[in-house]
Amino acid sequence: MNRKTILNRRTFLSTSAAASLTLATPGLLRANTFPERNIDVYVPTAEGGGADRNFRAFTSIWKTKLGVDFEPGYYPGASGRVGYEIYMGKAEPDCYSLIFGNMGPEVLNWAMQEPTFDVDDYFYFGQVDVDPSVVFVGAESPFQTIDDIVAEGQKRTLTVGTSRMAHPASIGILALGDQTGAKFNLIPLAGGKNTVAGAVTGEVDFSVLTSGSVIAAGDAVRTLLVFGENRVGERLNNAKNINEVYGMDLPEMLSARAFGIHRAAAEAYPDRFARLQETFAETFEDPALLEAYVASGGAPEYLRMGGVEECAKFKAAMLELGAKYKPLLTGA
Amino acid sequence: MKIDPDRPPRHLGGELIIPALAVVFTLYFFSTIWNSPWTAQVSAFSLGGVLLLLCVIFFAKALGMVAKGEGSLTFGNVVTYEDLRTGRLGLIVTTVGYCWLIDDLGFTLATFLFLWLSMLVLSRFRGVGRVTLTSAIMALGGWAIFIWAFDTRFPRGWFEATMEAVLKNG
Amino acid sequence: MGDTAALLFSVLMDTLGYWWVMIPTIFLGLIVGGIPGFSAANTIIILMPLTLAMDLQMGLVFMVTLYCAARMGAGIPAILVNIPGTAGAAATPLDGYPMTKQGRGQQALSISFVSSAIGGLLTTIIALAAMPLLARVGFYMHAVEMIVVMLFGISLIASIAAQDMIKGLIAGFLGLMIGSIGTDVVYATPRGTMGFLELYDGVPLIPALVGLFAVSEAFIIIEKKVILSKKGQEAMENPSWAATFEGVREALVRWKHIVWTSIIGLVIGVIPGAGASIASFVAYQQSRTFSKTPEKYGTGHIEGLIAPESANNGVTSGTLVPLLVLGIPGGATAAIMLVVMQYHGVSFGPSLFQRQPEVGYGMFMAMAVSYLLMMLTIIPLSRYMSRVTTVPTIYLAPMIISFTLVGAFVPREYMFDMYLALAFGVLGYIARRTGYHVAAILIGVILGPLLETYFLRALKKSEGDITVLFSSTIGNILWVALVVSLILPAVFDRRRKRKELVTP
Repeated sequence: MNRKTILNRRTFLSTSAAASLTLATPGLLRANTFPERNIDVYVPTAEGGGADRNFRAFTSIWKTKLGVDFEPGYYPGASGRVGYEIYMGKAEPDCYSLIFGNMGPEVLNWAMQEPTFDVDDYFYFGQVDVDPSVVFVGAESPFQTIDDIVAEGQKRTLTVGTSRMAHPASIGILALGDQTGAKFNLIPLAGGKNTVAGAVTGEVDFSVLTSGSVIAAGDAVRTLLVFGENRVGERLNNAKNINEVYGMDLPEMLSARAFGIHRAAAEAYPDRFARLQETFAETFEDPALLEAYVASGGAPEYLRMGGVEECAKFKAAMLELGAKYKPLLTGA
Repeated sequence: MKIDPDRPPRHLGGELIIPALAVVFTLYFFSTIWNSPWTAQVSAFSLGGVLLLLCVIFFAKALGMVAKGEGSLTFGNVVTYEDLRTGRLGLIVTTVGYCWLIDDLGFTLATFLFLWLSMLVLSRFRGVGRVTLTSAIMALGGWAIFIWAFDTRFPRGWFEATMEAVLKNG
Repeated sequence: MGDTAALLFSVLMDTLGYWWVMIPTIFLGLIVGGIPGFSAANTIIILMPLTLAMDLQMGLVFMVTLYCAARMGAGIPAILVNIPGTAGAAATPLDGYPMTKQGRGQQALSISFVSSAIGGLLTTIIALAAMPLLARVGFYMHAVEMIVVMLFGISLIASIAAQDMIKGLIAGFLGLMIGSIGTDVVYATPRGTMGFLELYDGVPLIPALVGLFAVSEAFIIIEKKVILSKKGQEAMENPSWAATFEGVREALVRWKHIVWTSIIGLVIGVIPGAGASIASFVAYQQSRTFSKTPEKYGTGHIEGLIAPESANNGVTSGTLVPLLVLGIPGGATAAIMLVVMQYHGVSFGPSLFQRQPEVGYGMFMAMAVSYLLMMLTIIPLSRYMSRVTTVPTIYLAPMIISFTLVGAFVPREYMFDMYLALAFGVLGYIARRTGYHVAAILIGVILGPLLETYFLRALKKSEGDITVLFSSTIGNILWVALVVSLILPAVFDRRRKRKELVTP
């Protein structure tokens, strides 16, 4: 016991020392070409959340390819719009400023309320991962399968917790309602944490959410259906794909994290942009990425590289879905 | 309420500032939700409605008091000669200046200047040495906590840049 | 049972072995708690690399101690210079600051420390013993029930407004309207934002808090040499330990008060999403309702200080319950703890106590031990901390202003929030000079958006049917209790007056 304490104290002290040393060390040795300094990344979600975790894991490898570090700034306001409009909007378009956004809910939000910038001012060039939305219940819920929910929903309107109306998960459950005739009443519970809590405590009949937060909730919840492919099996209680169960043709309802850049920057500095793209692709080839992902507690199954084209397709699909469901999601 | 003949008339002009602001703000608020879904309207219309009603009652009461000579439409409770004498006006100016300049000068320098100037204004330019020392210690302490230790995104200026360079190469 | 006792004992011993982590962390917590805008949650985030580098148990002890100490630290500037650094401390200056002005700052601090520590310790023990039961509270307190709980806190506006009802209500409703700024919680329609994206998520609390309370006060205090009254200055001339002990004694003789207000905090704390701000206002309102001297609240009344302080520390232990029993964090700090512990491979959920009981018990034990250590380390400091009140206002006022404007910036790191704090300072200043209660505005700003959230959630669930408000048994019991607690002071008052007539 005593020995352990001493060791721990030493570790404690040395960690603090190491931490302060890291703070004081000058940047890595830098090449003479792009990039000459660290890259600023605007993250339009809160620090400590899922985006933060994935960002740190991914850039811990990417920085070894690019030779400079990534400096994140977290700007979560107004469903991410503060990050896009105020901060990314004011940053110099010189390829030294990137945005690490979520092409799912953030783009969907633009379809609901037009932002002050042109949605084509920025474009995504590097998709890091995709995470499907799921239907889940609290551990004590009487619903055991998705069929129970649908059967009950055909008898009475069920309340469904969602993190916000303009979210791919909300669209998924509305589509299920259209298909089966079950009636669902979406209740926005403001954030993943509250959406899980709502399902667990019975505030709502069940909830829909991006699967990462559902996996993190452990055995407090049970997943019943995935709006897409279940890539993690047991960790989502082997829940099935909606298309498989109901013979539907719904696109995957994904949250997809991706790096974006000013269109003006990519056009003015094509060589810089090419360097970013190259090193981004190299990062995916490095086996260390998988390790970093697992170590950070992320699901490596969700890593999926996407380039400019895939991202543009994703964004367009989201804007289209948003336009289709706009009346239901905005109450207009 | 009993009328107290010895009490000076109330400065109702001052007392009407808050209700007047409330009415303007509430009407503006209503204008932003006029065409919104019911969820955006329900509580704002009910709260705002009560607020407008309260303000109208207060306006009527104030008018009645003015008519009876119990109050006057003056602002003696908000703006007085005291404001100049105590340096309050000066402090307001330095505070606004602080908010305005911090973006350009950076956190540490702006804080130092703000503290230094306001303390001098309030002490009527006595004890310059002590004021300078206090403001320097406070500004440097703030720099040490907020910028050096916690690395918050306070506006950086000339001082922060110099210190960063010194720490990096020192 | 014997197994659990043995496990608890060994966890206690392990925790005590970390005293060398806890003591520095207590001081760190006091500092970050005292700086407006900082909280345990954002400190843990800032120190994340350090936190992650610690082993599980040390990280756990570190986070829990920081959480408790920061909560206690927030009371210090609230009492001494009218700066509540977090929403949870918003009710503390109501009686704490008047005590300071009377020269009883030292007593006020030790009262706050004792009631925080005892309230925290007691609720930790209750939470540990009744965890499975307490975790069920969240299953019964849904939107409808929470509406009534919020109304308990909001009804304080009416009590504060008692002297000049119409002006008090104008202040309160203006606060509620300001609190409505931001997108509506269902369809995210922006309202009253004046075009500022920074206001889409509602009025940020810290700028409103420090602006209304502290910045406006700084402009007032410069009329006097020091913030103390004449009598207060005499009292502060000869500082002695006696004042500290007096505070300790004054708190201890009101132990019953500490117990029940901290239990209010605990019960509200275990409801996911509800927080310290609700708890401290509800506790203050309840304390006033059942008081024999409700008119003394707001003038430096000891019970008025004990209630919010023991309640917000009750919340601290309460938020751990849903985290440990259900795997859902009760508040922001608990959410960060969850992230850190998941990094160490702890998986949360109902089976945590079967798989890793030492983690669950360890958190409560760390909390209990840190409250014990805090009692020993902090109380002696009140004598020195209270000296701040003797600093001449020519120095104090600019310091308060820069300190609070800076604090307004910290939580979101927007320059906008600094300007907002200044705007709230001007509003607060005008309100003070023209006889409007800033506390009434503030209660509206803090509790208004929460009330609206629960209200809209309930209405959306019932698809617009307003009778949903009276649809639950617990809700209806709470409604009755609310009506009773609104009528009770008047009844007490009449009875007292009648008694005074009988016995002249």
